[in-house]
Amino acid sequence: MRKQCLFRAICKTLTLRPRHLCTAAASGGGAAVKRVTRENFAAAMEELRRLVRASDFVSVDLEMTGLMSAPWREAFDFDGPDVGYLKVKDSAERFAVLQFGVCPFRWEPSKDSFIAHPHNFYIFPRKELPVDGSSYEFLCQTSSMDFLAKHQFDFNTCIYEGISYISRAQEAEVRSLYSTLEDKFRKYLCYSEEAVDGDISFSSTSDVFFTERMKIQFSEWRDWIAQSSSGENNFDRSSEDSKLKLQTDFYKMRPAVVLDGFSSHQLRLIKLVIRKHFNDLALVHTDGEISGKKKVVYTDSENDKALLMEEVLEDLRKEREAKVQSAVAFRHVVDLIASEQKLVVGHNCFLDVAHIYSKFFGPLPPTIAEFSNRVHKIFPHIIDTKHLLKTDLISQNLMKRNSKSLSSAFALICPHVASDSKITLSVPRQYVKVEVQTDEAGSNSGAKHEAGYDAFMTGCIFAQSCSQLGIDFKLHSAPANLAEHEKLQNHMNLIHTTRCGSTILNLSTDTVILDPSYSKYPKLVLKNIVVIWGFPSNLKPVELKDYMRKSFGWDSVTMICFLDKTAALVQFSKEELVAEFFKVRNSLEKSNNVVSVLHPLLKVLEGGNTRAGDYETYKRICGSRISKALFADQAEAMGIEWEVVAPETEKELNAGESGRSADEIDGEKGLESDRVSSIERILNSLMSDESRHKKRIVFRDSNGMSYVGNLIRLYSDGTCMSYPNLQGFK
Amino acid sequence: MHGLAKSKQASRGAVKMGKEAVVKQVTKRNFQEAVQELKQRIFESDFISISTKKTGSFSSSSSQSRWRRVLPIDTPQTAYLKAKAAAETFELFQFSVCPFRINSSSSSSKVVAFPYNFHLFPRDEMNLNMPSYGFTCHTSHLMSMAQEGFDFNVCINDGISYLSRVQECKAKFQSTIPRICSITSSVSSSMADSLFMERIKSRVQNWRNVHKCSNKNKDDPLVTSLRKLILGGEVYGSRPCLNIDVCSDHQVQLAVKVLCLLSDDIVPLIIPGKGGGPMAVKVVLTSSSEDKNVLLRELQNLEEEQNRLIRGFGTVIDVISSSHKPIVVYNPLDAEDTGIKNQGHNVLRITRMFAQLSSVLKITPAAYEPEMDDRSASLNSYSNIFHPFRTVLQDQIDGEVAQICNMEKMSTENLVFLWGFRGVVSAGVLKQKLQGAHNVFDFECEDSAKALLEVVGRGEFGLGVLEDGLKAAGYEAYTKTTTEYRLAVEDCPVLHSRSPTKEVAPLPSRIARETKDD
Repeated sequence: MRKQCLFRAICKTLTLRPRHLCTAAASGGGAAVKRVTRENFAAAMEELRRLVRASDFVSVDLEMTGLMSAPWREAFDFDGPDVGYLKVKDSAERFAVLQFGVCPFRWEPSKDSFIAHPHNFYIFPRKELPVDGSSYEFLCQTSSMDFLAKHQFDFNTCIYEGISYISRAQEAEVRSLYSTLEDKFRKYLCYSEEAVDGDISFSSTSDVFFTERMKIQFSEWRDWIAQSSSGENNFDRSSEDSKLKLQTDFYKMRPAVVLDGFSSHQLRLIKLVIRKHFNDLALVHTDGEISGKKKVVYTDSENDKALLMEEVLEDLRKEREAKVQSAVAFRHVVDLIASEQKLVVGHNCFLDVAHIYSKFFGPLPPTIAEFSNRVHKIFPHIIDTKHLLKTDLISQNLMKRNSKSLSSAFALICPHVASDSKITLSVPRQYVKVEVQTDEAGSNSGAKHEAGYDAFMTGCIFAQSCSQLGIDFKLHSAPANLAEHEKLQNHMNLIHTTRCGSTILNLSTDTVILDPSYSKYPKLVLKNIVVIWGFPSNLKPVELKDYMRKSFGWDSVTMICFLDKTAALVQFSKEELVAEFFKVRNSLEKSNNVVSVLHPLLKVLEGGNTRAGDYETYKRICGSRISKALFADQAEAMGIEWEVVAPETEKELNAGESGRSADEIDGEKGLESDRVSSIERILNSLMSDESRHKKRIVFRDSNGMSYVGNLIRLYSDGTCMSYPNLQGFK
Repeated sequence: MHGLAKSKQASRGAVKMGKEAVVKQVTKRNFQEAVQELKQRIFESDFISISTKKTGSFSSSSSQSRWRRVLPIDTPQTAYLKAKAAAETFELFQFSVCPFRINSSSSSSKVVAFPYNFHLFPRDEMNLNMPSYGFTCHTSHLMSMAQEGFDFNVCINDGISYLSRVQECKAKFQSTIPRICSITSSVSSSMADSLFMERIKSRVQNWRNVHKCSNKNKDDPLVTSLRKLILGGEVYGSRPCLNIDVCSDHQVQLAVKVLCLLSDDIVPLIIPGKGGGPMAVKVVLTSSSEDKNVLLRELQNLEEEQNRLIRGFGTVIDVISSSHKPIVVYNPLDAEDTGIKNQGHNVLRITRMFAQLSSVLKITPAAYEPEMDDRSASLNSYSNIFHPFRTVLQDQIDGEVAQICNMEKMSTENLVFLWGFRGVVSAGVLKQKLQGAHNVFDFECEDSAKALLEVVGRGEFGLGVLEDGLKAAGYEAYTKTTTEYRLAVEDCPVLHSRSPTKEVAPLPSRIARETKDD
């Protein structure tokens, strides 16, 4: 806090102009970042609108309450793209975003420099509307919270002052709720019988007495009003009120009675009395739905009554609209970036993009292809600087042996921005200048792991990388076409899906490609993978590998990956070994002879809690909404036992499947037409098959590519389901 | 930070009940002193009141897990299971303890209270993924804490961590700090053992001699590092040390036996492995007997620090539980929105309320003696009785479920668990629709539960009435959803309706539900 004040004080003494200008280099590592909370959101939003419109690109960064709901949900290099997506989906659905960094960058030809405006938004999913979203319930990963705390994250600002938001889906939901309420209201106006919501049972005699009393009182009051308005005597309230128990008030220029101190049950009875016996009285809610009072208003004609109701409705509509706008709040920022179709830059932004989609647009779709498709429609140009750095030789050269974190990449790629020293000119590399601009008020010196500053660093890296790709900003005059620049096209819309970047998602084509430069591990063959869990807790990876090799041959296992201490993925060298594995296990379970006691696989099965399944099982477990800390507990909680894909057990699995609808076939969109036709062929042949059970299908096309992991389930009603993400391997 | 300033005033001592009552705020920075102080207060107190602040509750949950809140219709067992799930899902951020005395001396009974507010955060102090990997928050709960001026930064930065007793055992088991070892008397040794001992003896002796000599004349760094390389010696703090690999407790005993006989200036330490068993014996060479004492003290401090970290807030619970004082708790649900700008005041409200209640129950202050047995009988009949239901059916205040609330006793045999209907907004509408669907939904006749299950099982009623497939099962299925988390996460567990107690639908469809629900 004190540091911040000091910084502000210095700013004030240094500049007398309303806009404070300082180069990032001068501010000693951390650039000035505008801090935006509820308090200054409206003003900041106005400003940002202008800045984003004028910008060449916008970099973003998010800080969340956590990354993984369980250790085994970490992204492993051995996860296929579908599992990788399921893990990211799980994370984005569970954790909240606390900070949203937005930094528009604009090229200023007169200065030969980019002008950056880093903004750090504190956001918090405050519940302001009656939407029943899961966003009001979020998970915190203890270690992440601790990490944020260590980097001076201000949780108080976030919870007390964070800007709220709702997604487009939630907004639609609340609007439809409001329109239903409005319809109900109109029905009520029309006095139609259906509008009476349920009968009220007069459960006691006191209810009857109460109703009668109310009837008398309202009738007296109405008569009195009618009398006075007919002009016989002026409103002599003081004398009349002493007799009447009802206090007269005014509402929209009409006499009214405030209903105060009644229980909700009594209010319902009153409502009923009014509707039944008093045509010229109307019960209305005033000044807000929740806090507002209920009043009974006198109208002198049917017309007047209709008019009153329209007025009330209009008030309500206005009030609701204002509420919706105030609840949408921060989403206006995201909507702005989307509607301006700006080039969005993020660093390792797969998870960030998933968060943005789930928090501000709607529930994440079930498959990665659909996700990619929808994201691409919203943000047509996304650049992942992580990918950009990997493909850029100069950067690779600079970064080898160094940690791959954003801040270290920033220090290496943009030393001219990151450090105080002005060594810029002594180095042969051409540096892109970046200047930071914020207004003096409400800014503080940014630090790493603060979303605003991280976004700024990401943008700087991008600008520098562009220059290294040969983009000359000095020549480039019209700012709008940076996203269209030919030298960027090879990197456009490619984002890394795993931490180490073995797979890349192409948002333009909705396909996942394996990184050609990635050769650290043996090739991933999903159909050869078995997931094993629940084995003895002291089993080491080396031992597991050893037992597997002893059981199935020396070169049977190509890789082993421990998910946690209770589970491992094993990739066999041949697909037949998967079936062999289950067969051996089955025979071991049945027989008790001396030879089988010595079988090496028994070491893995020891304890009787060992279970296994194929890659589809693994995928299913990753897609589950349950999250147990240990993989074995997770599988148990889901009730998953031995999952054998061998054909003879298929039939047992099939009962009760009809609940699954055909809408899950969607994923096939991403397939090329010849593949689809071959799938159709297979489907047709399966349809004629009487067994109509799920089949594992492995087929080859003319190029010798085989597609795996493609399970098709057929139901008796002819619908079918296909796992969408075919992965081709040579 | 203002909390700490306040705590200084509070630590003076007794705080009289009043509007400006000050609650001592405790974080990990002042935890040790506060615990000592609290121990004394508890010892002198008549009663202890307790109140907590959780990060969320199922009753304020969104539709996803809202059904997991405790309902009046739940049996005690179901209610317990739901409470258990809640305790496993949410965390405590605040734990207020208030030992208090009721002064019997004055004619008007006066309550003297000593409120303490402990800030908790399940920080993983030991890197063991404990006490919790993650926890759920409800924004509504955080907001209501914010309304009371809760300082989240203090909580997350300086909150006291804790482990349950079970976790504590695990943590001790997994701890990797070196321990001083003691020899158990009976170490029988075989031939192999004596060989092992001889080998250690010569190795350690050699190593010790080298170090004793090198202490006298200064070697150049190259020689030192070469020697280190050859001897495998390392440094423990500033002292030279040597690692001896062992593979069993027996070998540890043997090694220690040799080392104790060998020399006075070496201290053997056991380095535990990750799994809990010994991994190595570390031999530390001290320069003198004073130095040895210093080392031993250091080790003791280290262990105490470790224990303190492991115990964390658990100490407070132990103090309270071992005091055997009566504990007063009030379901804090209603007391949360009073907007007092101070933290930990609930505990004072409870205290005040208890004092009030006591006077209502005509319990004379004289009856409060610290001894347990001497308590007044009228109070005795209230102790250890909990109210399991925290929630009323708030969402249905419109009187539609009046029938449910009015039921006094019912057999679970007559209860049917219905689910799978969507777009039905209230109990009244559901009832109406069901009654229209089939005459089995008459609710009045005997054994209608059984009949209903049969009808639903045969699929005999018109599905068109309800938008989605209606399913039904007995009460057991409902209990099962609470026990088995796998069902709990789904809005619509798919169970077979025909024989509800046992049969559970095969998994694929259940998973299908799960993924489809998104």
